[in-house]
Amino acid sequence: MATPVVEQRQKLLAEILMEKGIPIEYRYGKEHEGVSDREIKNDPTPRANQLKNLYLNSLSSVNVEFPYWYTREWRKWDGEIPIIRRAKALKAAFSHLTPAIWPGEKLVMGKTYYYRGSFPMPWLSNTFFMAKSDDLYKAALARGGASAGEEAKFGAGGGNVTQDFGNVVSIAGKFGIRSEEVPALVKLAYEWKDKSVEELGHKYEMMVPEYDLKEKIMRSVICMFDSGYTLPQGREVINYYYPLAYGFDGLLKMCRERKDKVAGRADGDGLVGIDRLYYYEAVILVIEGLQNWILNYAKEARRLEAITDDPSQSKEYAEIAEMLEWIAHNQPRTFKEALQMTCLIHFAVLNEDAISGMSPGRVGQVLYPWYEQDIESGRATKEEICELLQLHRVKFTCIDAFASTGVVGGVLSSNTFNNLSMGGLNKFGDPEGNELEMLILEAGMRLQSTQPTLSCLYDDKLPEDFLLKCAETVKSGTGYPAFMNNQIGMQFLMGQYGEEGMDITDARAIAIGGCLETSPCTWKPLTLNGKEYWIPGGAGQPTSVGVHFIANPKVLECVLFNGKDHRTGEQVYPPHNRKLETFEELWQTFCEYYEMTVDCLATTNNIQHDIWRKNNMTVINSFLKPDCLDRGLHIGQLGYRYNATFNIESCGTITMVNSLVALKKLVYEDKKYTLDEMRDAILNNFGFKTAKEVGSFSLLSQVKREDGAKYDQIHHDCLMAPKYGNDDPYADSVLRMYEDWFCPMTRKYESLYGKKMYACQISVSTHGVQGSVTLASSDGRLAGTTYADASMSAYPGTDRNGPFALFNSATVWDHSMSQNSQMNLKIHPSAVKGPEGTRKLLDLTRAYMRKGAFHIQYNVVDSKVLKDAQAHPENYRELLVRVAGFTQYWVELGKPIQDEVIARTEYEEI
Amino acid sequence: MEIKTLHHNDCMNFCPLDVAKGLCRRKNELTLIDSNTCDCYVKLPKCKFCVNYVASGDNLGICKAEKDEPWAYPEMIAVTCEMFSFA
Repeated sequence: MATPVVEQRQKLLAEILMEKGIPIEYRYGKEHEGVSDREIKNDPTPRANQLKNLYLNSLSSVNVEFPYWYTREWRKWDGEIPIIRRAKALKAAFSHLTPAIWPGEKLVMGKTYYYRGSFPMPWLSNTFFMAKSDDLYKAALARGGASAGEEAKFGAGGGNVTQDFGNVVSIAGKFGIRSEEVPALVKLAYEWKDKSVEELGHKYEMMVPEYDLKEKIMRSVICMFDSGYTLPQGREVINYYYPLAYGFDGLLKMCRERKDKVAGRADGDGLVGIDRLYYYEAVILVIEGLQNWILNYAKEARRLEAITDDPSQSKEYAEIAEMLEWIAHNQPRTFKEALQMTCLIHFAVLNEDAISGMSPGRVGQVLYPWYEQDIESGRATKEEICELLQLHRVKFTCIDAFASTGVVGGVLSSNTFNNLSMGGLNKFGDPEGNELEMLILEAGMRLQSTQPTLSCLYDDKLPEDFLLKCAETVKSGTGYPAFMNNQIGMQFLMGQYGEEGMDITDARAIAIGGCLETSPCTWKPLTLNGKEYWIPGGAGQPTSVGVHFIANPKVLECVLFNGKDHRTGEQVYPPHNRKLETFEELWQTFCEYYEMTVDCLATTNNIQHDIWRKNNMTVINSFLKPDCLDRGLHIGQLGYRYNATFNIESCGTITMVNSLVALKKLVYEDKKYTLDEMRDAILNNFGFKTAKEVGSFSLLSQVKREDGAKYDQIHHDCLMAPKYGNDDPYADSVLRMYEDWFCPMTRKYESLYGKKMYACQISVSTHGVQGSVTLASSDGRLAGTTYADASMSAYPGTDRNGPFALFNSATVWDHSMSQNSQMNLKIHPSAVKGPEGTRKLLDLTRAYMRKGAFHIQYNVVDSKVLKDAQAHPENYRELLVRVAGFTQYWVELGKPIQDEVIARTEYEEI
Repeated sequence: MEIKTLHHNDCMNFCPLDVAKGLCRRKNELTLIDSNTCDCYVKLPKCKFCVNYVASGDNLGICKAEKDEPWAYPEMIAVTCEMFSFA
């Protein structure tokens, strides 16, 4: 047992806060004893369960089949027009993908032959592999003689390959690759030397006068990542319309006719009129590649049909073959064929580029024509449809995104953000929430998994039974659906895309791209068996692009320290040399540093994206989205209907707000401390050890220094200063001041497409990484620990007046000025128990939406379960939690984020 | 190449789940890639089994099926390659 002296030395932040009466793991309401499990539990069908279990047993795996064939074909066509060269490379890659079909599957195909497979795209980003090549080679050589037994030792962390084992080499602590393929991976990376978007982008971004500042900002992690070559597409809504309406043969016919029409004719457009010929030719090439890919799967299904002894399984393979042979050419006839078509289109787009957040959109409305006609004709039952939707969840959960370490780990927590939207209004302003959407919710409850995550486009017009079903699904503990305010989102769309023709009708087609990025969409008429339906789908460029993510508290830190980053010792910004004698001067300096940040990131990222559009333009996405096929133009030529999608993302809003509030109160108004005293406390981490010394960046693990008592009083005062989330006008006015500056400010910056940018306020997982590089802050937060999550969530333990006080604080500003806002709330299962609890949850949501908020999502979970899961991860492989815009397996989250979720205020009453 | 050096992922009856294991369709069970192949083994088209493949060491080689003789790698699955022919 430890002596009292040792106890004093090892005192944790959590204990100190408890002594002060401000426990970091705060519970609002009466604490419930014992451990409460989630109330709603439904089981998947045996078939779906078996396929889900395969996922749970699979590792995140990489091969180089796609990049090999892409590169081999690309090499052949030196001198060819870039879009044709790219289309030929894509065709070769798709045509050579090895098909893999699992027993029990009704929906087939995937990114690679691995169940949870992905691959690097060295034409986009290659320097990581070149820099790492020695290490990768060494690991590959060292592993050659490993035994089969050794390979059976799979580590914790779910499907993440965190370290080398057997003949498997870990890439970036996440993906596994067979050691035999490492030399090919390295060779591929070198083939793209000086040609990748990353390298070419870098070559030209260095010509931007602000480049040096940008580099310093990246080194200090004030900005999380470059968007041009990491995730050049995503956080958008896909559009399945054209293949669903015309079939691939219909599209080929359309392109051939258009090609004849435009060949050699500028039609008044001297810049890109002639390019239309090349565009249609490229689309023809990629569609032929996609058909080869589908038919290779059909061929494999026929082979399996022939060699399978079990007659019922053999028959299923035959059905798969027949389905694929049909949809490789024609419009789908049944719901199953249509669902399969959407899956393969989705995987095709994801294989074309490094993408996170390619959202399927309003699938329940897109596929409703087939659902309606199958049910009416008796071709399918609701139970069969529900099983297919569960299988759809398995397919989407298997999607992995291969991007840089910082992006996949630091931003995405390995999630891929395929967000399926439901509800909202139809083209004519009537409410949705149809029968198929009810089944999507049911499937989400029965087969709980990370993908697709679900979002409800909340509108007061939506049917009560649909909204109650949404609330019931939330109670299952999956964290989905999130609720997004339909009307606020529509207002944002009209404001941002009005100049490109967005009207109320198109605004009603709204859907969420990525975790909660409001995305521009449109309606298209689809005819099935003579009946016409209007279906929604994406019509805008990615919103994963622009300036991503700016660490607001870190910018404020630089203001306090005259532009210097004390973590790296680097002078990031030019010294302002101001005394910061007033709060107004402090705020003004913050705004100036912030705008410098945005400016240099916008210009350099514009260059990267320009290289991307010239050499790596999307062809597949560019034939799916209106109005490319009509106009004969690809994404880079503004072929999409809506192009003003580039945005500026922030992180740590509430930590920054609370810090500004503390400075205003303690330094400028009460004058209890000078700014130098505050700086000294921050630099000395309020008397705590550094996170590095402690060996953990987690909130709950921070330890007081033996000689740290000197800072007790100032730390106490910073912690006790007014905080956002309590309906306190003193604190909330600072949030209002910030939003009224931030949202309009972002519109001063222009994307490479000459369109104004806008604000995007989500954190994903960046509040962990950017928190880890930030010194202590004047709100009392310690160095290296996470920021408050999302943009409207309170800092853990600081919202003490109940949910309605939090809602009042969050809605002091106009949310329609921003693409989104984000609020995560953790609720104890007992607070929403039974049908009455479901109603309460809906009422709570409705109250927030009616105040003009954009978004809320819930974690219905007992923190005691999370703590047990942290201690015994082996017992919780399937535990899901909502983080910040996404649902993730607990065991695949990093510890700082786990601690932050545990520490969030737990509402035991609502 | 002798059969004893083969892995399960060299077999037509193997469906890869991930980089370490997959399904043996004959035995209907998950099998580690690097364990020994069995009686059910059916050779899977891979570059290393192709008449056109010439090894150049270090898990790399060349493909002689095309005039410019592009580089290739032995573990590439070639079920979709129109130029593949067993050696």
